[in-house]
Amino acid sequence: MKRALTREAFSREAMGYLDHLYRVAVHLVKEPQEAEDLVQEAYVRALGSYEQFSPGSNLKAWLTRILYNFFFDNYHQKRRWVSVEDGAAEKEGSSYWERVPTENPGPESDILLKELSTKISDALRKIPEEFRLPITLVDMGDFSYAEAAEILSCPVGTIRSRLSRGRRLLHDQLNEYVTTEEKKRVKI
Amino acid sequence: MKCEEAQEFITALVDNQVSDEERSLVESHLKDCQRCRFSYEQEQALKREIGAAGARLHAPVELRSKILSDRRIFPDSERSSGTWTERIFPAWPFPRPALALALAVVLILPILYFTRTPSEPISLAALEIQKKIIGGEVSVRKASNPDELRKWQIRAVNGEFAPMEYDLSSMNMLPAGGAGEEINGRKMLVTYYTGKGLSVTCFTFLGTEEDAPKSVTVFFDNAKRITFYTFSKDGFNAVLHRKGNVICILVSKIPMDELLAIVRAQARPS
Repeated sequence: MKRALTREAFSREAMGYLDHLYRVAVHLVKEPQEAEDLVQEAYVRALGSYEQFSPGSNLKAWLTRILYNFFFDNYHQKRRWVSVEDGAAEKEGSSYWERVPTENPGPESDILLKELSTKISDALRKIPEEFRLPITLVDMGDFSYAEAAEILSCPVGTIRSRLSRGRRLLHDQLNEYVTTEEKKRVKI
Repeated sequence: MKCEEAQEFITALVDNQVSDEERSLVESHLKDCQRCRFSYEQEQALKREIGAAGARLHAPVELRSKILSDRRIFPDSERSSGTWTERIFPAWPFPRPALALALAVVLILPILYFTRTPSEPISLAALEIQKKIIGGEVSVRKASNPDELRKWQIRAVNGEFAPMEYDLSSMNMLPAGGAGEEINGRKMLVTYYTGKGLSVTCFTFLGTEEDAPKSVTVFFDNAKRITFYTFSKDGFNAVLHRKGNVICILVSKIPMDELLAIVRAQARPS
């Protein structure tokens, strides 16, 4: 059995998931400021009950579940798994993406990558929450279906069907920006 | 398997979340159905782009600072504890007189100058120095207070430049010592921050972005209009940026995201 972490060690380890929690939060709420508040409160809750965390288990999933539950309790007015209209969908050009990693980026590739990220963000915001959250957890958070199902308190099969439908909805909006091997062959 | 039935299995195949039996069924369908094969490729490409977009999305530096200074998350007891000397030398095993004697000896040690092979980039040499500082192979000058250390460092380079300063007190780290190095004929100032079992070293020297290693990840902070270059070697992470004609490299074992956030929070445009 692993030894329990000290509160300080736990805090440090939990801070390693800040970017991940922020990524999830910006796809849960409408405003960047709300996302920041959500993440901060999730940390407060997590640190308040850190002794309940079993060392060796999945801290990233545990923190994400706390974040989602806090969102659900405080921001969400409707029951789980009901589609909501998202006003942020109308906001073009979200400026979340400011960091662009590349081996040798020119100004042009910076702009293109940022533009693509913005398009993906806008498209995600336009699809209903029930499809958006599994995509955020699995594609951005690298969670398995079982982990995503536990975080969202739903069956694994639901995650799979929502992902399948959600990606089709996304693809309809992003078709011209997504390059498949087939398209590359056509270009050649 | 019909195309309609295949859709969800294709999704699960893209995510590598299928059983062996499901994999064999869906792969067999893909072999015979060009339309579903195309759909599979599209979904793979879409997943890749969503993942890449997520990887480019990072928490604002201000949020990190807000959390680190939130007393509900990091109470005062974690923020700073013990005397100044205890914070500087958290693991010092000897009684106070021995510590004083050791300090006195270190204070009169001359600055160590190192010469390296001309082919080694100055930025990678900094990582080597960091390793040696931690391993005790490089003596750092310990000073009674950060201002004194800074003045000594500026004198060591004849006032040509000053060491870049960082306020790491929110992470319980204070300047513990410094050194002057010479690498391939170029002077470099080293400031060593430590506390609570963590350490960060700041290397400052006259240079340009050309001093970054060839293989780096480049980050552009849109708000501050500063470009940061990150690289790692032997378990050490480093973030380089330029301010005027001075290059600063912060080196530590702290995770790269955290280290970059520290530099971004405190870096000022030229």
